[in-house]
Amino acid sequence: MSTTTPTTTPATPTRTPSAMSTTFASSSLIKLEILRTLRNKRFMFFSVIYPSVLFLIISGPASKTAKVPHTDLTMQLYYLVAMASFGALTAVLMGNSERIAKEREKGWTRQLRLTALPGHGYVIAKIASAATVTLPTIVVVEVVAAAVKDVRMEAWQWLALTFAIWAGSLVFAALGVAIGYLASGDAVRPLTMIIYFALSILGGLWMPSTIFPTWLQNIAKWLPTHPYAALGQAIEVGHAPHLQDVLVLAAYLVAFAGGAAWLYRKDTRKA
Amino acid sequence: MSATAGTTRPTEPRDGTGPVVAFSGVSKTFGQVKAVNQLNLTLHAGETVALLGPNGAGKSTTLDLLLGLRNPDAGSVEVFGTTPARAIAKGLVGAMLQSGGLMEEVKVKELVKLACDLHPRAYKVSEVLESAGITDIADRLVNKLSGGQEQRVRFALATAGANDLIILDEPTTGMDVTVRQAFWAAMRRQADAGRTVLFATHYLEEADAIADRVIVLHRGRILADGSAAEIKAKAGARRVVFDLEGPIDEGALRGLPFLTALDVSGHTVRIQSSDADATVHALYGLGVYPRNLEVSGLGLEQAFIAITDAASAEEAV
Repeated sequence: MSTTTPTTTPATPTRTPSAMSTTFASSSLIKLEILRTLRNKRFMFFSVIYPSVLFLIISGPASKTAKVPHTDLTMQLYYLVAMASFGALTAVLMGNSERIAKEREKGWTRQLRLTALPGHGYVIAKIASAATVTLPTIVVVEVVAAAVKDVRMEAWQWLALTFAIWAGSLVFAALGVAIGYLASGDAVRPLTMIIYFALSILGGLWMPSTIFPTWLQNIAKWLPTHPYAALGQAIEVGHAPHLQDVLVLAAYLVAFAGGAAWLYRKDTRKA
Repeated sequence: MSATAGTTRPTEPRDGTGPVVAFSGVSKTFGQVKAVNQLNLTLHAGETVALLGPNGAGKSTTLDLLLGLRNPDAGSVEVFGTTPARAIAKGLVGAMLQSGGLMEEVKVKELVKLACDLHPRAYKVSEVLESAGITDIADRLVNKLSGGQEQRVRFALATAGANDLIILDEPTTGMDVTVRQAFWAAMRRQADAGRTVLFATHYLEEADAIADRVIVLHRGRILADGSAAEIKAKAGARRVVFDLEGPIDEGALRGLPFLTALDVSGHTVRIQSSDADATVHALYGLGVYPRNLEVSGLGLEQAFIAITDAASAEEAV
């Protein structure tokens, strides 16, 4: 324990009221959330490095011309989208749900309510910082695919692919927030894991869902990860994403964001 | 009767300014428990107020209501003439709660900088660190701190800007004696700078030494409200202890003047009296021979126990 004696009381505020800076969100909090995420080596490994490693392991030995059954995609193209999406999913889902649940329990969200930050500023900072980490995740998989496995696409396809996977990850960021406000304590990790693996595997991020029995495919195609991966797959063969996939994802976004907002308000009333 | 017993303070504004905090008829119920019951409370600018009460007295609920973390079932809570949330958004209120957690995996100085960035009337980060006595641990990670260090970081967050009202919920829990003294020295400077300070505490000596006003809370009601000296006087100012041989006539003892409490166990008699001289004089008048007679002042702790016990007994009847 330090014995430093406090010596001064600051006499004057250094700043005049600046209401604008905190009316909607706080760039300070967003920066700090990003900084702490980047410092978390385990999290960075699993969301940024791990998907690329999986990409190399799975698509490495496969032929560069043979198509994945029922698709126009090679193994390399299929797993490029799958692993970039998987990495983005990991970054936004795993990070947020557990952190939010823990910070609610420890009272950090309560402490933040005693600042001038508006209530939703916390959630916005969480989603913004998660969305920042997803970008390197996606780009690293793309760079590895192009450099090591000679995946070639038009420039617009690379850009569109990056954007589609990045924007689509917001759906799962909202889901992560909802889980963080739904579960607490010991329940949050298993719940997140179950949802995470179900979404990854059934959505076809680990293996083509065409190898599943038909009844399982019928269920899987309604999971949000299925249209999420389909966005990227459409871009890879030179098409715009299918309208149905975009609509299904949008519906999920509305549902998850609405659920998160409802759970957040419920939690706030309880304090 | 106890609900109105404490209104010894003027409720009019001082110096032409409105009250800092105004509770009027505030109630909050959790299930069957009335955590706060018809509470009326006014704090004025510049006061240092201690909130005392046993566990479950409603201290934390009162502070939560004051800070807008909970909404009252009935009555109204105003802080600087507006809602708690608006007062906080304006940077008028700083608070250090027991239940207030810290952001982990960040450095102390980063967290303090965040608090300064969020405060509409912030101080410089270096000044806040120094004032809270945490300059030497500024580069440590928040999740690697001891309990006492965490408390000082909480204090830094509560004083990151020019708050006019500072709320502290058992702030010195986990601090050792040296740090505790340094903490209160820092707190006193805040009070000297004209800030209003409200703190809940279990350490009655802290209330005695630091507060210029003490509010005793019991089962969601105010039992007593005044200076520490007034609280002691209210409970019966002095304690008289002696031994008596032979059978003890409790009825006669109870008839002693200025007696406020009587406790007989074996041969030992303990009396609380608001005028010990008169009580002892009358005691000799009973024709008994008290041995080992001691007359002592009542500490705030005993006063506090006397007041809350009396209230509990009253409710039990």
